Amino acid sequence: MNRAAPPLGQVQRWMHEALRAPGGDTDARLAEMIAPPGRIQALDALGIYQRSYYQRLLTCMREQFPALCRALGEQLFTDFAREYLREHPPESYTLYDLGRRFPGYLEASRPDRDAAEAEREVWIDFMVDLAAFERLLFTLFDMPGCEGQPLADASTPDAALRLQPAFALGAYRFPVAVYYHGVREEKSPDLPPLEPSHVALVRKDFLTRTVPIGPTQHTFLKILAEVGSVPRAMVDLCTRHGLDRAAVEHSWSEPGGVRERWIDAGFFVPA
Amino acid sequence: MTEKSTEVLGRDLGLGLGLRNVHFEHILEHWPAVDWFEAISENFMDSGGRPRDVIRRVAERYPVVLHGVSLSVGSTDPLNLDYLARLKALAAEIQPAWVSDHLCWTGILGQNSHDLLPLPLTEEALDHVAARVDRVQDFLGRRLILENPSSYLTFSHSTVEEPAFLRALAERTGCGLLLDVNNVFVSAFNAGTDPQAYLDDFPFERVVQLHLAGHSHRGTHIIDTHDCPVRAEVWELFARAWEATDGAATLLEWDGDIPNFETCHAELLKARDFMDGPTHAAAPAPLAADGRDAVSTPVDFMSPTAMAAVRGDQT
Repeated sequence: MNRAAPPLGQVQRWMHEALRAPGGDTDARLAEMIAPPGRIQALDALGIYQRSYYQRLLTCMREQFPALCRALGEQLFTDFAREYLREHPPESYTLYDLGRRFPGYLEASRPDRDAAEAEREVWIDFMVDLAAFERLLFTLFDMPGCEGQPLADASTPDAALRLQPAFALGAYRFPVAVYYHGVREEKSPDLPPLEPSHVALVRKDFLTRTVPIGPTQHTFLKILAEVGSVPRAMVDLCTRHGLDRAAVEHSWSEPGGVRERWIDAGFFVPA
Repeated sequence: MTEKSTEVLGRDLGLGLGLRNVHFEHILEHWPAVDWFEAISENFMDSGGRPRDVIRRVAERYPVVLHGVSLSVGSTDPLNLDYLARLKALAAEIQPAWVSDHLCWTGILGQNSHDLLPLPLTEEALDHVAARVDRVQDFLGRRLILENPSSYLTFSHSTVEEPAFLRALAERTGCGLLLDVNNVFVSAFNAGTDPQAYLDDFPFERVVQLHLAGHSHRGTHIIDTHDCPVRAEVWELFARAWEATDGAATLLEWDGDIPNFETCHAELLKARDFMDGPTHAAAPAPLAADGRDAVSTPVDFMSPTAMAAVRGDQT
């Protein structure tokens, strides 16, 4: 236990590479780096770290993408996730960041990525969308919200309605939220057909809700996120998309209408 | 150090439990009679949601200690100042009795293995780690407490035994020590050395806190899984460490297959049986029964709860 010591940085680079790409060391190299065995051989000792590295990260990936794991099957999901981790090893001090680049990786690594859009595999589109949805849902869990502060209520004027911080919008080629909740409820849902879906995600009292919305509502909320004010967003929506202002306002403010439902769901805080 | 007086008092915190997400509801509902909690810093430092709310509320009623897994104080990468700033902000808000991490490195070249990797114990490593501990303590404005890690290998060129390394580190930097007696047992078993000899040389006078945990015995080696009750041999080591540290704050870690709160608490309270020395005959540690692969260095992670707190509207 007292050989000529390689510099600390060199030792760390060696071990780091051994974790990420096991099997690259000769017996001589292992003997050079690892002390004569205690109870287990050097290769087995290093193997504990090597196995744990991927197992730990893969466990986290399955926890962050449970519906995608169900959709792909655990083995295929694990294969994709392992390749993802090889190409994009974790860089952050927090495991919350682990799946951040996974949806983009799935899209970039799809085998038909160079094919014309019409010729692409639909099921891959679904997996990419589902991954993006689950990542968005995951980030909403812990982003700053407005718990402990008052939400808007029915008496809040439209001009004072502001989207709350723990709020996000998603637009997908498939009804991914329906599929996700089917998995969560252990209903073993079939893969859904191609059918665009829009969803608002909002956290209230630390409970995240997925609220299905229509394409026009999605556009309205997107504009609202940009301009900040409901009356202005309504004008912009009607102007940009040629909608009838009176019809939009009626849909917004009628009893049981959009305004009421979204306030109940906790979309808004008072300005 | 600015927090030293708090630590001297805090050293006698008593018997604490790791603050784990699966117990949040129970704790907030029952406010159980636990002396204190230890929180994994990384699970709370970036949180703007429920974890941050929970730790705030817990810290209002209990002493809390922040225990990190990503400081990577032994890495040759630059210290992550963004990480340290977030840790400092969390500490300013929670006012922990102390802040701890591990004598290890977790990554290099900007990457993070999320494992607590062993250091070659050399004079070079000691110089390197001591300089970084100084910087961390200056940055945080408080003393750092460092834990002996569990390990599965020893580097050929190590020249210093771990107790001596930690003693020198504490003397140079003024850092405190967290003695994990389960890690002592795990590392010693894997290296084929004597855990009692390890304790013979350990600088108990620097110890602020003790850790207890269960491990997975694989026959040829032991993995530090934190997923079962404390083994008899570890209780023996605890009894000695408790006496030698004059009753340092003691915490039970349970991070895999976490049972209900009462079970964890009952396991923690077994420590009382060993505070007057080892009173139970040490039984041999059983072999792991299920043959599954055990993962070293469990990282308490919250995504199961994160994804459970989701509701879907139907219309």
